[in-house]
Amino acid sequence: MECSFALTGKDYVLVAADTTSARSIIKMKIDEDKIKTLSPHLLMAYSGEPGDTVQFAEYIERNIRLYHIRNLYPLRPQSAAAWIRRSLAESLRSRHPYSVNLLVGGFDTADQSPHLYWIDYLGTMATVPYAAHGYGSYFASSLLDRYHNPDGTLEEGLATLRRAIDETSKRLIVAPGKYMVKVVDKDGIREIEL
Amino acid sequence: MNSFASRFIASSAENEIRQAKAMAEEEGLTDAMWGSDAGFGSLVTGHAFNVPAVPDPSAFLRLHTDDHADPNCKIKIQHGTTTLAFRYKGGVIVAVDSRATAGSYIASGTVKKVIEINPYLLGTMAGGAADCQYWETYLGIQCRLHELRNKERISVSAASKYLSNLVYSYKGMGLSMGTMICGWDKTGPAVFYVDSDGTRLKGDLFSVGSGSTFAYGVLDQGYSWDMSDEEAQELGRRSIYAAGHRDAFSGNTINLYHVQEDGWKFIGNYDVTKMHYEGPGPDVPGAPVGGYGYDVRTHGRFSVLPTAVPA
Amino acid sequence: MPNMSAIVHPQQRHFNPYAENGGTILAIAGADFTVIAGDTRQSEGYSIQTRYAPKVFRLTDRAVLAVNGFAADGNMFVKKVKQRLEWYKHAHAKDMPLRAIARLIQTMLYAQRFFPYYVYNILGGIEEDGSGAVYSFDPVGSYEREACRAAGAAQSLVQPFLDNQIYFKNQTAAPGRSHPSHLPLPDVLSIVVDSFTSATERHIEVGDGLEIYIVLAKGRSLQGVEGLHGLRELSTQEDGERVFVLQRDLKKD
Repeated sequence: MECSFALTGKDYVLVAADTTSARSIIKMKIDEDKIKTLSPHLLMAYSGEPGDTVQFAEYIERNIRLYHIRNLYPLRPQSAAAWIRRSLAESLRSRHPYSVNLLVGGFDTADQSPHLYWIDYLGTMATVPYAAHGYGSYFASSLLDRYHNPDGTLEEGLATLRRAIDETSKRLIVAPGKYMVKVVDKDGIREIEL
Repeated sequence: MNSFASRFIASSAENEIRQAKAMAEEEGLTDAMWGSDAGFGSLVTGHAFNVPAVPDPSAFLRLHTDDHADPNCKIKIQHGTTTLAFRYKGGVIVAVDSRATAGSYIASGTVKKVIEINPYLLGTMAGGAADCQYWETYLGIQCRLHELRNKERISVSAASKYLSNLVYSYKGMGLSMGTMICGWDKTGPAVFYVDSDGTRLKGDLFSVGSGSTFAYGVLDQGYSWDMSDEEAQELGRRSIYAAGHRDAFSGNTINLYHVQEDGWKFIGNYDVTKMHYEGPGPDVPGAPVGGYGYDVRTHGRFSVLPTAVPA
Repeated sequence: MPNMSAIVHPQQRHFNPYAENGGTILAIAGADFTVIAGDTRQSEGYSIQTRYAPKVFRLTDRAVLAVNGFAADGNMFVKKVKQRLEWYKHAHAKDMPLRAIARLIQTMLYAQRFFPYYVYNILGGIEEDGSGAVYSFDPVGSYEREACRAAGAAQSLVQPFLDNQIYFKNQTAAPGRSHPSHLPLPDVLSIVVDSFTSATERHIEVGDGLEIYIVLAKGRSLQGVEGLHGLRELSTQEDGERVFVLQRDLKKD
């Protein structure tokens, strides 16, 4: 089942999402990238109803890009998260609500600070130091309560993320096999092999 | 999921019904209906679908057409399938079975589940036969228009996205399709999986339908990028045979297609029962001598099972 | 205590606009002819509504449509198909070709995708190349060209018989011989009559009367239809494709 994790550290945010695309009991794809790069310092992991996920993520991606093109500077993570949340909340009261859960992680180049937002399909948003969606969250949230260090180095953050993923693989019956990990910091966005 | 939100769907549907009624009163008659327009004349001014005047049209449709939920429902839309497509160095192989079932009745054993969208694009059919046939024909029209407007063939990616966006706009209305859009464009061989949920995936290898797990079992194990054309065709044929043999809703015959740089080519039609006992024959390169059947293949070797005498 | 009975509660009414009216239809394509037939009994449940309700209709001199399922939907659908064909004739000064009628029927059925006509259609006639053709449809418009097809209440009785007699399924040809790819008209007619007499014996919704339409390719001799008892010609001209109808009795119990 779909799992995504994210955590902040000293001057960075780590975002991880599984890479499987499933239909009933079948894995249709095992290398699907479910983390969108919204702007040079903004990441979004998405999961939920098939179809809705990609449609919504591409809608967000293009509008944030449009903002960047029009204003020559990107939307800051705080504002981007607020706008994304509002889009979901408005969709919830429409004829066809998007059922999409998100983790939005970004690095604010204005004040050199990492930001992470947990957003669900109802439009609930929380500013958090670490977050998870899916069944993995039942294992990871307590683990991150115990091990997360807000001042941790990237190496320490990766070790903690690895703990969360390993624990999920160990205990969850329907655990995903592979994850994609991305980091955002002052230098931008990179993919990291765990 | 999302049950709170879904409560609001029924009431706001009234608005849509009012619109549908207004459309039905005008009968949606267009000038194009007087002529031919390839039979799609009624679509010139957009799709005018008649919707029943009930609070929840999709529940109405499900009540009368979903033979899984209620085997006694009147309108049995044809279901049950195995289809596969994979990409390899020599192009794309597309293989499908030909059985259509309505409940437990085999409605047809000669269905064409590969839809020839145009000379270089193929679509496969799983789920609602009419949904796939109709929308992939429609996709063919749009691909041709793209070609005329842009003086360039549409990419497989763009064609599949056109279809995906189209079916996504009907999400929740009861369309049922799981299809692979296959072809060859500037990027080389390409396969996209598109279904009525709105999912669209780019990939090397897909199988769709009730027999897909059985096809995957043979396909995944035999697959490699560097296969020869003969090996690839044989793998497609053997995988559909496997599904026809194990899945009651699949079978009858196999249709095999090969997509190369110059477009698709129909390779052949193979009887599943004949494949079981005799295989594709000695004149088919890449295929083993003798039948695919387990008992045929292992006949006379040590086994706990006595072999039945073929009728 | 407020008066509860004054409060109007919204209520959901069960909406079932469909019925099943029994009967069976079939069509068989020959090399240069097509036979389309249907019984004439119309029933609902165990009651017979009428002993003569035609299910097979001449559309043009080369196309005949058989409609089975819900009679009200079927009659409405045939009416609309005929209307579209007439419009086509006025616009193009010729009859619509068979394969185009097939595609038209698909789009007309699919326009009702979210409120389907509960009808199974079989279209039979002569293609532009002069060959006999049968097209069968599901209620929402998926279709396929075939050599023979049975639909309706007794399809599961008739279709296996046709598979055996037309496609020679599960039959082995004598050594050095092969099965014919097309049967001659008299053979087809006797298979059709046998299909319906047998279906009448074993299915309660089949019986009363039988209507057999025969479409002959342009220029084909009348060999096979000449001398048939009660044969009626329906075609509008003698130098094109020709349509005939035969009526036969079936058991009425």
